[in-house]
Amino acid sequence: MKNHRITFIVIIILLFASIGVALVLGRFHIGFGAIWDIIVTTCCGNEAEPKLATSSLVLWSVRFPRVLAAIMVGAALSVAGAVFQSLFRNPLVSPAILGVTSGASFGATLAFFFAANSALAVEGSAFLFGLLAVTLAYQIGRRSGNSVTSLVLSGVIVSALFTAGVSFLKYKADPYQQLPAMVFWTMGSFNSVIWVDAVRALLIIVPGLAAIYLFRWWLNPIALGDEDAMTLGIDVPKARIFYILIGTLIVAASVSLCGNIGWVGLVVPHMARIIVGSDHDALIPFTALLGGLFMLVMDTLARTISGGEIPVGILTALLGAPFFAYLLVTQEKRGEWQN
Amino acid sequence: MSELVSVAGLSFGYRNKPVLRDITFKVERGSLCGLLGPNASGKTTLLKCLNGILTPQEGDVSVAGRMVAGLPRQEIARLMAVVPQQMNLVFSFTALQMVVMGRAARLGTLKLPSGKDREAARDALEDLGVGTLADRPFNELSGGERQLVLLARALFQDTSILLLDEPTSHLDFRNQYRIMDVVSDITEKKGLATIVTLHDPNLAGRYCSHLVMLKDGRLHREGSRQKVFERQTLEEVYGMQVIVERTAHGPAVVMPAPRTVAP
Repeated sequence: MKNHRITFIVIIILLFASIGVALVLGRFHIGFGAIWDIIVTTCCGNEAEPKLATSSLVLWSVRFPRVLAAIMVGAALSVAGAVFQSLFRNPLVSPAILGVTSGASFGATLAFFFAANSALAVEGSAFLFGLLAVTLAYQIGRRSGNSVTSLVLSGVIVSALFTAGVSFLKYKADPYQQLPAMVFWTMGSFNSVIWVDAVRALLIIVPGLAAIYLFRWWLNPIALGDEDAMTLGIDVPKARIFYILIGTLIVAASVSLCGNIGWVGLVVPHMARIIVGSDHDALIPFTALLGGLFMLVMDTLARTISGGEIPVGILTALLGAPFFAYLLVTQEKRGEWQN
Repeated sequence: MSELVSVAGLSFGYRNKPVLRDITFKVERGSLCGLLGPNASGKTTLLKCLNGILTPQEGDVSVAGRMVAGLPRQEIARLMAVVPQQMNLVFSFTALQMVVMGRAARLGTLKLPSGKDREAARDALEDLGVGTLADRPFNELSGGERQLVLLARALFQDTSILLLDEPTSHLDFRNQYRIMDVVSDITEKKGLATIVTLHDPNLAGRYCSHLVMLKDGRLHREGSRQKVFERQTLEEVYGMQVIVERTAHGPAVVMPAPRTVAP
């Protein structure tokens, strides 16, 4: 991690700069000066000046929670992606491809269908079905040869299954009461994030990321292969359960907060690997920062480049897919991914 | 008690297919033991049973006086290190990062390798004469270089037992001897018990003090090189006619019997 000090400083500066820009931009313009005034006065326990009252409201109840949510979800999806890639020794793996995202979306939709609108029900259901999906994908992959290809294919199968489940629930749902909320899950957006939701996700995502951060180095030997890791002294089955549980938990919390946002968990870890290398000591914290930055920039673009609001998942796909194509084409030259 | 590895009545099979039957042998401190046998004779399986990756259905493996069965992975990794067969990484680590991983079994759960560990790992590469490879990506190294890096990792694991799974199988003529020279020297210098599976009986004849010969999952013969490296035993193990000749420059060599050419 020492060799990358400057890289880390740069990404942290970029992240803070993006937070500043994200707070300023929007249909309701708030200048940097005004933001500073509002933060200072509020933090001193005072009401904002009357002429800044609207700005204060927009800033505190709309932009702050949204910025926080975007950074958190970006970090969570990206770190989960990096962990799953190393765990399964497979560069094509991501929370979405292993079925975690679609499983969690199904869980959340199911909770909505049965009108269990309590946040705990939505999150719990998202977590359980996310876990079920990744377990299914892993087991099917193992029984069909345990290769890179079979794991990806079984993930596609499981995703298809749960996506069909989501569609069925949408078809059956009450079009006025339930459907809008369900469509929201499948599109993926930070549009309606409020403080309560953001903080609840934070209480899951931050400890989850911290746990992965603390145990990050063990992913190095695990990324070499199960047998090799075992000869180096790692209890691989136990470690795998730990990482899958935490990874699924933070993805489920993300999906519960903002729905299904694709590509981030797949491409951000690869960008990070190109910049800081494969050693998880640096890779995990850098992936978290880069993922947060990436998602924040995407979300800010999503709500500012046009009059309306574009679902952020469209933008992440527009950027992610070509980048992944580039990685695929250059894999041989980079000396990675061949197995 | 100078034996470090002791295998007694070991049998192992997958489902209904027996692979190893009633294997018994011992390896002493400071001795380099060669596991010989044709393909599918169970060499690699035996190595995995020794390391506890596979659990034998019958019999025991004990190392340094402790039963391997039931030991946690971390304990096993403190007793023996493995040099795996040729490997290619999906994600690229540098040679140094690979060697540092040899420290895994000695680290506390929440500890990361320290700067001191990294320096020590660099020394481990230096000791094998490949210090210059430290910051090169492992996947860009040649077969011989990779094998030396993996050997450095195993030595960095700091165990008294070393297992090598066909360390010469993908190497060119010169590198085969280079690796075996290093393995042989280190075994002697550090007083290790080293077990190595080999395809080429001449490598075993040149380096190993002790030979264990497997055939169809059974122990065909074992003993000191002088005793068992002879024509009849080698013919039985490999199922072919051979000639064993003593050379002027060292140990005996084995070669296939001359082909009978039709007149």
